[in-house]
Amino acid sequence: MEQNNSLPPFPQGLASPPGAMTPALHIFSPMMPYGTGLTPQPVQNTNSLSLLEEQQRQQQQQQQQQAASQQQGGMVGGSGQTPQLYHSQVSTTTALPGNTPLYTTPLTPMTPITPATPASESSGIVPQLQNIVSTVNLGCKLDLKTIALRARNAEYNPKRFAAVIMRIREPRTTALIFSSGKMVCTGAKSEEQSRLAARKYARVVQKLGFPAKFLDFKIQNMVGSCDVKFPIRLEGLVLTHQQFSSYEPELFPGLIYRMIKPRIVLLIFVSGKVVLTGAKVRGEIYEAFENIYPILKGFRKTT
Amino acid sequence: MASTSRGDSLPKVQCPNHPDAILVEDYRAGDMICPECGLVVGDRVIDVGSEWRTFTNEKATKDPSRVGDAQNPLLNGGDLTTMISKGTGAASFDEFGNSKYQNRRTMSSSDRAMLNAFKEITTMADRINLPRNIIDRTNNLFKQVYEQKSLKGRSNDAIASASLYIACRQEGVPRTFKEICAVSRISKKEIGRCFKLILKALETSVDLITTGDFMSRFCSNLGLPKQVQMAATYIARKAVELDLVPGRSPISVAAAAIYMASQASAEKKTQKEIGDIAGVADVTIRQSYRLIYPRAADLFPPDFKFDTPVDKLPQL
Repeated sequence: MEQNNSLPPFPQGLASPPGAMTPALHIFSPMMPYGTGLTPQPVQNTNSLSLLEEQQRQQQQQQQQQAASQQQGGMVGGSGQTPQLYHSQVSTTTALPGNTPLYTTPLTPMTPITPATPASESSGIVPQLQNIVSTVNLGCKLDLKTIALRARNAEYNPKRFAAVIMRIREPRTTALIFSSGKMVCTGAKSEEQSRLAARKYARVVQKLGFPAKFLDFKIQNMVGSCDVKFPIRLEGLVLTHQQFSSYEPELFPGLIYRMIKPRIVLLIFVSGKVVLTGAKVRGEIYEAFENIYPILKGFRKTT
Repeated sequence: MASTSRGDSLPKVQCPNHPDAILVEDYRAGDMICPECGLVVGDRVIDVGSEWRTFTNEKATKDPSRVGDAQNPLLNGGDLTTMISKGTGAASFDEFGNSKYQNRRTMSSSDRAMLNAFKEITTMADRINLPRNIIDRTNNLFKQVYEQKSLKGRSNDAIASASLYIACRQEGVPRTFKEICAVSRISKKEIGRCFKLILKALETSVDLITTGDFMSRFCSNLGLPKQVQMAATYIARKAVELDLVPGRSPISVAAAAIYMASQASAEKKTQKEIGDIAGVADVTIRQSYRLIYPRAADLFPPDFKFDTPVDKLPQL
């Protein structure tokens, strides 16, 4: 389904998305604190940049998701890279055929492809997303000076950096807005929040009089972190996984592990905290953590 | 009379029956003879050694050898260039007093940057008195990286500094990044970046640094006696074994161990002095010292002679 990226001029009312179909229902780990913003949903045809509608849509998804969590579904043939973690914890859902979600659904359980996990026990730990970086094209040239002068919470120092730095409080994010019309949005804690925030910035720009659109929203990077709750012997890890690890205590106190599949960089610390970055979709973070967890267990400090 | 000679980059001649045998040169006839079977493998071999007929007379101020410097075939690409030296007699100067036959056109322009880098490497290594084998290894590493061209955009000095760091590590005598920074104009950050890139490009890895690698150097620079050095080595090793200092850089642990050992002996050194030598901030030494202080009694070697007993060690 295509997504309508054009934004009408402000005074126009909300347009109901034509032919709205039942959105694909997705599962979440119950350890997630809240339901909003976690569905990697295909975006409905939103003709307007209305934030109200966006939030309504998200609430709708939340309700539907709660209803779905009582379903007992079969296995889904979705494009998932997820580990078995979600087998026991959440129910499965059905994805609509031919529905290519905007974000791949990472949470559908599947038999694991990578035979790296020796036993089939899952770690029980879910990495929390800490930061999402996304880009969007507003589709028109912008005059940064007027934006900086008229918008609130905007800073613009052309000698230092050629973009307006704008911040909003809810969701707490920062945006870099360039004169070409492209924008980078950082600091959101989930995909939906990132999208919502980007739409809010686009709305601000629109209100200032520019014909802003919302083209090619893409998540570029996702950062997650978690704690394995035991200390780790980094020296042992770097000896056995030499081709992936780099541990230089003079340069950085953590071990930098570059996983090949999925292509994620993990920073592993002696305390047992792990930072995962470089993911384009949430499932890559989960998959990478499931891959590394048995390895880390093998290097647990015994004292 | 006969001597063995090996030219590593020159085409090897081998005895067909004994390929492993090292051929023996017979100067008298100019032959290469296999010692196992006596077969003359190469005859009329040109001797590339120095002049045979050098007379010692009083007027021999100049070296009559006409063969020049030793080749450095591994590193230079082995081109044979002729260099015209400065003239000595009156005929070599033209009317204005300028020397005729201006010399030293671009010799091996393709490797000019590499030769420059080798000079830089030698200068850097000289500053910290590194032996020839490390310099050779560094040159080799630089050559490999340079020929690969994967790091072409990076400053040659940065690559040279990083190669020096890797060579020291590979030879088992690591130098800290700060020590390499001290003799190079490149920042620690850039050297660190190039270091990781070179390891990736050459697909090698290096061993992890340990506290013991630096003990002898730091202790001698501080002028500490051997007993204290051995005690500090023991303390640092024990501290790491007992996992008292998780996540601390081995340099910081080594510095704290030296501090503890020196404070327990007659030669007391301050944290600032140790920090200067080791390249560690004195607050860092203080932090690591605080971690090892509680178990100080267990960390000392059993045969250590205390000038200051363990309970009187400074507590910061």
